Amino acid sequence: MHISWKKLAIALAILPFVVVLAAWIGFFNVGASSGHWKITEWFLHFAMRSAVRTYALAVDVPEALPRHAIQPAAGHFARGCAICHGAPGEPRSPVVMRMLPQPPDLAGTVGEWSDAELFRIVKHGVRFTGMPAWPTQERDDEVWAMVAFLRELPSMDEAIYRDLAYGERLAPPAGAAGALRQALADCARCHGADGLGRGPAIPVLAGQSEAYLLESLRAYAEGARASGLMTMPATEAKPQFWPDLAKHFAALPTMHPGVGGDPALVRRGREIAEKGVKDAGVPACLGCHGRHDRSPLYPSIAGQPERYIEAQLGLFRAGKRGGTRFGHLMANAAKGLTDDDVRALAAYFSLSAAPSATGTR
Amino acid sequence: MGQHFSLSAASLLLASGYPGARSVLEPAGEEAQQIAVLFWVMLSGGAVIWLGVVGLLLHSALFNRRRLAEKSASSIILWGGVVFPSVTLCALLAYALWLMPGLRPFAQASSAALRIEVTGRQFWWEVVYRPSQRPPVASANEIRLPVGERVELSLKSADVIHSFWIPPLGGKMDMIPGRTNRLSLMATKPGIFRGPCTEYCGTSHALMAFSAVAMEPEAFRSWLAAQAIPAEGAGASGGALFLRHGCGSCHFVAGTDARGLIGPDLSHLGSRVTVGAGILPNTEDAVARFIARPDLIKPGSRMPAFDMLPPDDIRAIAAWLRGLQ
Repeated sequence: MHISWKKLAIALAILPFVVVLAAWIGFFNVGASSGHWKITEWFLHFAMRSAVRTYALAVDVPEALPRHAIQPAAGHFARGCAICHGAPGEPRSPVVMRMLPQPPDLAGTVGEWSDAELFRIVKHGVRFTGMPAWPTQERDDEVWAMVAFLRELPSMDEAIYRDLAYGERLAPPAGAAGALRQALADCARCHGADGLGRGPAIPVLAGQSEAYLLESLRAYAEGARASGLMTMPATEAKPQFWPDLAKHFAALPTMHPGVGGDPALVRRGREIAEKGVKDAGVPACLGCHGRHDRSPLYPSIAGQPERYIEAQLGLFRAGKRGGTRFGHLMANAAKGLTDDDVRALAAYFSLSAAPSATGTR
Repeated sequence: MGQHFSLSAASLLLASGYPGARSVLEPAGEEAQQIAVLFWVMLSGGAVIWLGVVGLLLHSALFNRRRLAEKSASSIILWGGVVFPSVTLCALLAYALWLMPGLRPFAQASSAALRIEVTGRQFWWEVVYRPSQRPPVASANEIRLPVGERVELSLKSADVIHSFWIPPLGGKMDMIPGRTNRLSLMATKPGIFRGPCTEYCGTSHALMAFSAVAMEPEAFRSWLAAQAIPAEGAGASGGALFLRHGCGSCHFVAGTDARGLIGPDLSHLGSRVTVGAGILPNTEDAVARFIARPDLIKPGSRMPAFDMLPPDDIRAIAAWLRGLQ
């Protein structure tokens, strides 16, 4: 049969209308019950795996995964991921098993992906599957912590997982006081019932200024301070409880700082903290953070974990931390810091003693 | 908006009349005096020659149109076109060269009793007085000098190229990162002068100036002695707010815990002619406005805005700073 170019062109011009008509009639079955055709399923997986592999080429993989930060990642996994992907001692529910596509049990499948590919999936999610993106695109450090946790997942037993993700669970009593207890228990999952933080990635809340804790909670809840890990608990705690939560942790006794560290590094950190770096425009840290009579909105950094301080200064330098009325002061101050300065400051402050509690305003 | 605000701040100051002379033609220092004389000599010489040339032109065009003999034409060209310009230009050059040792008196400078170190920073001036045999005195954005005494200025820059010029006194001299340029000045009349930055140095270049105050030697010495000790109001209550909000991280105020080194020294802010590096009158209101929005008054300034502080706190801090005489 001979088809002229003219007829072919007409057929192509009509085709979109035919497709729209077919969709409008509703002939195509979008139900999940019957599953995909074999070829559709193969093609979708093929396309997904290829895209993840290709986009992962552009991911900058850190030298070592942040294993020190898997505890908060485990807490987040329990809250946001385990419902679909299961967890040690928590199999996927029958409801989830009828999703299309069915979310994989990660303990068995993370081995198929490289670190960069896992990062890509966790940060950006996967279209058409129900896999969401990370709550913020600003915090690659959190995504890497999750990748580090996922790497541990296959060999993790139930007891270790439950300890990482939940800590010692406080039983919530009933009533309004119960709701506050529940919010407190949620904080304690990562920050510890003693407020000292359950690991080197978690800030010490015990003895921190109440006004600062409140402002920070507000910044996380309103999304002004980007964090996938903190946004969920901050928005779940009702605003009416925020002042009580801040007051509770502010009143807890703070920890005595450790000793040791590289003396040269600590000395350099102390010098920057006391005098700043004049020609780099770095102010003296202690002028704001070291005074007993300082504004209660200036947090205490003394005695915070070294890795935490390092991470936060990195975020300030990258312009990714703030969200309060005072955040721009630190963004300005941290701009001139070098990597070595940051390490020295983290070493110094993690070992220095916290000044006593500040007044409130 | 920011642009508009800063422009209006500057024009406000211009309109209100800056409290000081700024013209090279009203010299108040030895160096500027010589430059002014050189200018007038050059101007009058140039005027006389111009009149002579135009006169000759008119004369030959209107009154004396006959042809000259070849010989007399040649001699006019020789005397008027070669000999006269050569002699005149050589004389003027010799005069200008003769002035130079006086304008760049390096030899005398080393014997100056007072050395002032000025460092240009975006967008302000760090000033350190180094009197012989006495400890240095830090200040900012204002330079005071004794009338009738030679002062040596060491000019530096911490970031980009700035240029130092006090038109009625002398200059200008570039401030170049990594080197120290020397300038020697002697004021001959007391007065207040404006010194603008005269090398483009960034967004707020036009908002970077300082006040130069020439004082009678006795008044200068007692002023310098007063600057060397903490201001009287330094311990007062407004200072507590200054420290509470962390201002001492960047600013130094003698006699308090404020030991910051990266911003201007504020030890005697109240005694200065202007604030904000020569752009605002030294009033409580201007100081308060600067604290609240330095980014609007001086775009590109390193100081962050403090408009999130309670207005009463800002006002109390401004009043306290104004009181540091």
